[in-house]
Parts: sequence; C-alpha cells; structure tokens
Amino acid sequence: MTAIDVQGVIRRFGSFTAVDDVDLTVAAGEVVGLVGANGAGKTTLIRMILGLLQPTSGLIRVLAGTPSRELRRRVGYVPQNLGLYRDLTVAENLEFWAEAFGGSPAAPPFDNDDLVGDLPLGLQRRVAFAAATQHGPEVLVLDEPTSGVSPLARSRLWNLIRARAEAGVAVLVSTHYMDEAEQADRLVLMSRGRVAGTGTITDIIADLRAVEVTAPRWQEAFDLLDGSGPPVTLAGRSIRVLGADLRAVRSALARAELRAEVREVPATLDETMVLLDS
Amino acid sequence: MKAMILKEFRQMRRDRRTVALMVGLPLMMLIIFGYAARFDVATIETAVLGPDAEVVASQLGGAFTVVKLDPAGTDDEARAMLADSEAAVAIVTGAAPKIYVDGTELFVAQSALRRGESLPAGLESEILFNPDLNTAAVMVPSLIGLILLFIGTVITSLGVVREREQGTLEQLAVTPLKPVDVIVGKISPYFVVALVDMVIITLAGIVIFDVPFRGSLFLFAVFGLIYLFVVLGFGVLISTVSRSQGEAIQLAIMVLLPQVMLSGMIFPLESMAAGVRWIGYLLPLTYFVQAMRGIFLKASSFGALLPPLVVLALMAVAVFGLAVWRFRQEVAPKTAKVATS
Repeated sequence: MTAIDVQGVIRRFGSFTAVDDVDLTVAAGEVVGLVGANGAGKTTLIRMILGLLQPTSGLIRVLAGTPSRELRRRVGYVPQNLGLYRDLTVAENLEFWAEAFGGSPAAPPFDNDDLVGDLPLGLQRRVAFAAATQHGPEVLVLDEPTSGVSPLARSRLWNLIRARAEAGVAVLVSTHYMDEAEQADRLVLMSRGRVAGTGTITDIIADLRAVEVTAPRWQEAFDLLDGSGPPVTLAGRSIRVLGADLRAVRSALARAELRAEVREVPATLDETMVLLDS
Repeated sequence: MKAMILKEFRQMRRDRRTVALMVGLPLMMLIIFGYAARFDVATIETAVLGPDAEVVASQLGGAFTVVKLDPAGTDDEARAMLADSEAAVAIVTGAAPKIYVDGTELFVAQSALRRGESLPAGLESEILFNPDLNTAAVMVPSLIGLILLFIGTVITSLGVVREREQGTLEQLAVTPLKPVDVIVGKISPYFVVALVDMVIITLAGIVIFDVPFRGSLFLFAVFGLIYLFVVLGFGVLISTVSRSQGEAIQLAIMVLLPQVMLSGMIFPLESMAAGVRWIGYLLPLTYFVQAMRGIFLKASSFGALLPPLVVLALMAVAVFGLAVWRFRQEVAPKTAKVATS
C-alpha cells in the first residue's frame, strides 16, 4: 500500500521555485531516504507532506487522504531540532506529546529523571523518536534522525527505525549524510528542487566518476585543478576532481610539471550531490 | 583588544534592534523627560458651585481653570464631581462655603494648595479620598497595572519565544491539537498567574500600605480581566515578531517604558506637553491607572468608569485579537491542495 504519494508537486516562494514538479512514493514497510544538499528542497517537501505548507500545485496524499488534522494522529514526525521541551523530563515530554496525539504515554526508552536538555544528544534523539512513535503512527517522517550522535547511538536508533518499518510503518528519512542514506531501502535524490535520481546509492551514483590525484606537492596540484572547471574536493591529501576527464587532468598536471598518481574512481553520494548542484 | 572592539561595533551595527534600543531609547527618554516629566501643574480643572459661583469663578486666577459653573450646584454634587474625576478642585459657595481638593491627584492637589492665594480667602478646604496626600495610596493601585503589564508582556512573550526556539511550535502544528487548543493552553497559565499576582498585590497594598479599597469589587475584577487580555495580547504579539528571547526583552522594554512614563502613573497627564500627552492616551496603562485610582480611592461611579472601560475593551479586542491571529498563523498548518495544476 502506498502511504505517501506525491505527484507533480510544485512549491514557489515568490519567483523562487523551492520544489519543482516532484514525484515521490513511500510504501508501507519501506524506508525511503530523501537525500540532497542543503537547499535542495527536502525540508519544503517534508513540510508539505506534513501539511505545514500548501503546495502551489500538484497532489499530495498521505494514507490515501489529504493531510488533515485527523490524519495527523496516524503520522509521526521527528524534526531535526527534535521538538522536545528541554526543560521537561523524559517522562513529562512523553506524557505531553502522548496527550497531544490523544493517546497514553509510552514507557520511557531508558530510566532517567533528568531534564531532556541535560541529556546527551544521542539520548535526546531516542526520546524524540519515542515521543513521535508512541501513538503508533503508520507514517514516520524523520529529518536527519541520527545527525550528531555517536556510531553506537546511531546503530541503536536505526535499529528502532528498522523495527518500525518491519512492523509495516512507511518511513521517510530526509538526510544529507551518506551513512544515513545507506540505511534506506530506496533513495530519492533532490537537487535544486527537482528529483535528480532514484534507487539505491549505486543506481543514483550510476556512472558518475571522480578523478583521484595523489601528489607530493598536493597543495600546488589542488590550486591548479581547483581553477580548471570541474568541482574539486580534498579527502586527506588526496584531491578528487569530480566528473573530470582522466586524460585532461593528467595533461594539466604534466604541463605544470607536477608529479602525481592519477586514477578514476566512482563518485561518492556526497560528490554526486555536489556535481548535480554545480 | 582592538579586534574585539571592532568586532563588537560590527555586530552592534548589524543588530538593528540593539541600534534602535541604543539610539531610540535615549531619544525617547529625552523627549519624555523633557516634555512629560513635570511635576508642576499648568492647569487645575475646577468646578464652582453654589449661589455665588459666578462671582467666585471670576475671581479665580492662575492655574485654576473653570470646567463647570453651576449656581444651583450643591455640596454633594461637588464631592461627586471629584469622585468621578470631572474636576480636581471643587469650590462650593453659599451658606457653608468650602473648597474640596481631590487627594488622588497628588501633584494637582499639592499645586492647588500651594496656590491658595488665587482662591477666595477664608474658605475652609478639605482634601478628599487621600487626606494625607499619601503617595503609596496613589501609587499602589497604579503599580498593579505596571506589574500586570510586566508579567503580561515580558513573561508571556518569553514563554512563547522559548517554544519557538526549541522548535516545539512546529511540532505542535503537526499534532491533532486545534490551534485554539494550543493558544488557549499556552496563554491560560500566564493568565492565571497574572490574576493571582493581581490579588496578591492588591491585598499587600491594602494590608501593608493601608491603601483604602472603597469601590466596587466587581468593577475591579472586570477591569483586571479586560486589562489582562490587553497585556497578554502585547506579550503574544511581541513573541510573534521576535526570533529570540533577547529580542523579545528588547521589544518588551520598548512597550513598558513609555507606559511607565506617559500613563499618568508617575507624572500627571495634565502637566505633560500636548505633543507627548496624546501618546499617553494611546496606552492601556493610562486607562487602567485612572480606573484603579477611581475604584480604590474614590469609589467612582460606573458612569465615570465607563469611558476607560470602553477604551480598554476596544484595546483588548484589537491587541489580543491581532496577537491570536498572528499566533494562529504559526500553529495552524495549511491544508494541502488536492487539485493538480
């Protein structure tokens, strides 16, 4: 069953088009990653799916209905800034949000009487997840749910998210982090308000390549290549020239008499986003 | 250190509200203190009643301005006029001539007594409502308004802005809660706390400072409730245009200061230059102070309290209505469009 169905949605702010003719579906039990650089239109799209913003045109259906107050009982949302009261305890937060959704509070995910604001970020994210899921939503929208937490805390959170999906919940995760995107069953890549690719990470990266340059005089090599046109990034002391032609890079380095090892490698998801935005 | 100073000036320049506070506030204070902060009274509204009213009125000089001349007027009418703030001084002529001075208008009363040479000689004078010209008796009823204003604007705006800073306002918007539930739920506790404060300050004023309470408790409650809507409205309104708690405090100061200075609470409205006096008439505290002094000290009639009541009620509808409308924009999500383009 399709839980989230977005068809041809456009959202304009004055002359700026934040979301441009986007299609997106999330089925029950599926984890879909909405990826894209900052400003790609992810948050605007999520706000429209949640009913916080009206599309300029297009169709949005959540659980076969238009986003409405009644429908919100069946949707859970964890914003990037968590949406918790920092000056309430874990139990008090859960109690409040449970009542806001018309239900009864779940047991706290861990034993703690501290104020939420005093907890480490990993625990705060767990509380936010518990608060957003305690009313048993059929659709879960998560905005960068594991950013800023330790690898261990991240694994625990993804374990919880996966368990929800296994139970039939449709999960839409917005992120621009590679490790979060890797957890999704399917990715939808947004760039400049449009869908630039869908599928697995491999599908999205497809045949996009980068030229990796390892040079003893790496700073000179970076300065040279940075002005040559294609986007250039640095990974340690390795220079990566995105979407560039291998021979062109080689000859540019040779002309400048810079000795270097040069090879072609698949682009990463981050680099794909940079390439799409450049 | 030079870098630090330079950085601070750059930040200061870009923070428009701080610049407004640093430049606007001194200017405002200069204007207020220059034109409004006067304890000397230029005009004393005077009623002259009784058979010799016309003769006595013609002899009045100086600041005494005759606002009512009634040869058929009686002693009781003179007292009633002062109770209803229709005049600050009433002179009764005839068999038992007397001069009544309104003791709740502290500076006006002092000024009237100082200028006794301009009044007919040999008349017995009596200060009504506040015979000892006790400052606390006049200030405490006004302070209730100021304290409620403080709670209403500063505390309420901080509470709402904190909600936005934590990102919980957006989270509330995706719950099934109706906007009205959110707004009423958010404001009610401040309303209750402010009400409790109002009762505590009133009781403390009566017990500690011997402030008399002569008027109607019902009218006191009605004024208190209406005024609370105005001040809470200010608080919510400030919060809807403030991104941070710091900004909210800055704006609250801008709202509070003119009311302290121009409401007639400290400086009499009558002594202010006309150019700034009109600002006083736009401020809710002005009307609340008038009403509280009337209710506490003079047992003013309902008729006399009706004008401030109507003005405050209109302000409550306008300010609270606007505040709720703006707050609603934030917590009421838009329904998604079904139709395709």
